[in-house]
Amino acid sequence: MNSQAPVMNGQQTPAVGQPYTRNDTACHDLSFRVRDLNLWYGKNQALNNLNIDLFQKNVTALIGPSGCGKSTFLRCLNRMNDLIPSVRTEGLVEMDGLDVNAPKMDEVALRRRVGMVFQKPNPFPKSIFENIAYAPRMHDLVSRKAEQEELVEKALRDAGLWNEVKDKLHEPGTSLSGGQQQRLCIARAIAVQPDVILMDEPTSALDPISTATIEDLMDKLKEKFTIITVTHNMQQAARVADYTAFFHLGEIIEYNDTKVMFSTPAQKKTEDYISGRYG
Amino acid sequence: MSNTFDEISQQLKRRHRKSSRLKWISMGALGLAGLFLVLFFADMLNKGLPAFQQAYVKTELNYTEEATTDARKAIAEELVPLVSRTELRTIPLEMRNDESMIGTSEERWLLVNSEADQYLKGHRHRLNEEEQAAIDERVESGQVSLRFNTTFFGTGDSKIAESAGILSAVVGTVMTMIVTLAISFPIGVMTAIYLEEFAPDNRFTQAIEININNLAAIPSILFGLLGLAIFINFFGVPRSSPLVGGMTLALMTLPVIIISTRTALRSVPDSIRHAGFGVGCSRWQVVRDHVLPLAMPGIMTGSIIGLAQAMGETAPLIIVGMVAFIPDVSATFTEAATVMPAQIFTWSGEPEQAFVEKTAGGILVLLTILISLNAFAVVLRKKFERRW
Repeated sequence: MNSQAPVMNGQQTPAVGQPYTRNDTACHDLSFRVRDLNLWYGKNQALNNLNIDLFQKNVTALIGPSGCGKSTFLRCLNRMNDLIPSVRTEGLVEMDGLDVNAPKMDEVALRRRVGMVFQKPNPFPKSIFENIAYAPRMHDLVSRKAEQEELVEKALRDAGLWNEVKDKLHEPGTSLSGGQQQRLCIARAIAVQPDVILMDEPTSALDPISTATIEDLMDKLKEKFTIITVTHNMQQAARVADYTAFFHLGEIIEYNDTKVMFSTPAQKKTEDYISGRYG
Repeated sequence: MSNTFDEISQQLKRRHRKSSRLKWISMGALGLAGLFLVLFFADMLNKGLPAFQQAYVKTELNYTEEATTDARKAIAEELVPLVSRTELRTIPLEMRNDESMIGTSEERWLLVNSEADQYLKGHRHRLNEEEQAAIDERVESGQVSLRFNTTFFGTGDSKIAESAGILSAVVGTVMTMIVTLAISFPIGVMTAIYLEEFAPDNRFTQAIEININNLAAIPSILFGLLGLAIFINFFGVPRSSPLVGGMTLALMTLPVIIISTRTALRSVPDSIRHAGFGVGCSRWQVVRDHVLPLAMPGIMTGSIIGLAQAMGETAPLIIVGMVAFIPDVSATFTEAATVMPAQIFTWSGEPEQAFVEKTAGGILVLLTILISLNAFAVVLRKKFERRW
């Protein structure tokens, strides 16, 4: 699959080195286009020549054994890897036809459009209201109190948390249960109205019921947002994802429609992994 | 080969003995340290508490015309040797300042000289039996008694033991600390924020880091020399002033504040920073809105402890001339001033017996302030400690 353009939905996306335009009919619903992406932590190469197209308003799951680079790849999409000094990347990550690694791309602007939900729920140690209102206020999306309240309610409703917290908006976000905290983090991410939400193993720290709630939520959110999620849980990928990419040792072994991937994997490695032989 | 319980417990006995031996040694060390602390406090309280009392004599003052030049004329003759020279000096001054006093009379408690004061407190003195008997008589009648020493807390230094007070040193310390805090807190915190949150990790920043850590271990008298050479000789800051003292102590406090601020920043979990970056905060917004509020209790604690350390510092202030004789209380930044430890140092060199208790009393005041500051730091940390 490496170094050759992936074929998706029967459409051929432009090959490596081919000019890319937004009007290209083959990729009008593209969210990210990744070509020849390599990444090193110091001297260790963590990502090896990745090529993948990620589609809008879909859930894409990245699966693979520990240390295969799926989280690292996810963080390339909103340049969170910039925070790690030893990281060096090469290759193209394009969003809306713009190279996200270009010098003139502001990572703050990028992260405004590509939100992120982390493995461990990490609400700000502030009130529930502040957790959500902070970022939109910072981005000047809202200013007046009434607008903020409206936006907080909308974000909490979208995250399916409103009924549980509407009476305690001014209590600290950290007082909620783990699953609620994670939905609060999702609400916080959607409050800035991004295009893409990256989720880095969002349910790995949660109990099965909270996990099911968040999976349902992802299903609803994909109507408005592009969701790219990393998961250790293959069943979860099978349940929520429209597309799945299988990572192994820093390479994308297989990328396909989830149903196809889980029923008739093209690669031996994929088959071994999803049937539980390793990983 | 497996061991029986007997064999295992045989082995364990030796281990248990060893651990209990270590436990006793460490408890002994703790007990010894505690004992010294108790001895120190007992000695200081024993020597210093008498300084908070002072012998006063109640007498009728006749503000006659003669008394404007010679205060002895205002007091009953037999009391004159008992009354402090300070009172004899200030009464005519008061009368000259307020003419309407002349011709009136009033009953006042006057300071008793230090010899009689020391005699009353049971310390070493140079009074003969006759004088002692006279004082005892007056104590019986209630004319002479030990009262709360307002002079000690209300005046500046004096060469006359009974009228020496610590107020000018307390005011000097407050002024100096204001300067120290105003300089070292913002610079220290900003430096730490830069080093911890913004600076790339390269040779240059590592060198800075090592130097800051070494700076904290430099003998404080060197900071005094630096202050003398740069602030006084080069920039011409007034010598002996709280300004130069505060600037010098600020140099000394800076590394403490930088190191404690960095520790506080480092203890904020990265997940908070990631959350901030994840919603599109710039680096400065992450620091200002999310990291600093969480680190603040730690920063405050470190700064208060650094300040307390500076407050107890004498050596660098000797070099910049803050060990000065300051009889007047003046709250300015540029006039000569002294600070509490320097005042204690000055008193400890006085030959008169009465200054022994002044020295110990000064130490008690300083210790009280330092302990309250440290307690305040602990309260602050407990109060604002947040969980995440």
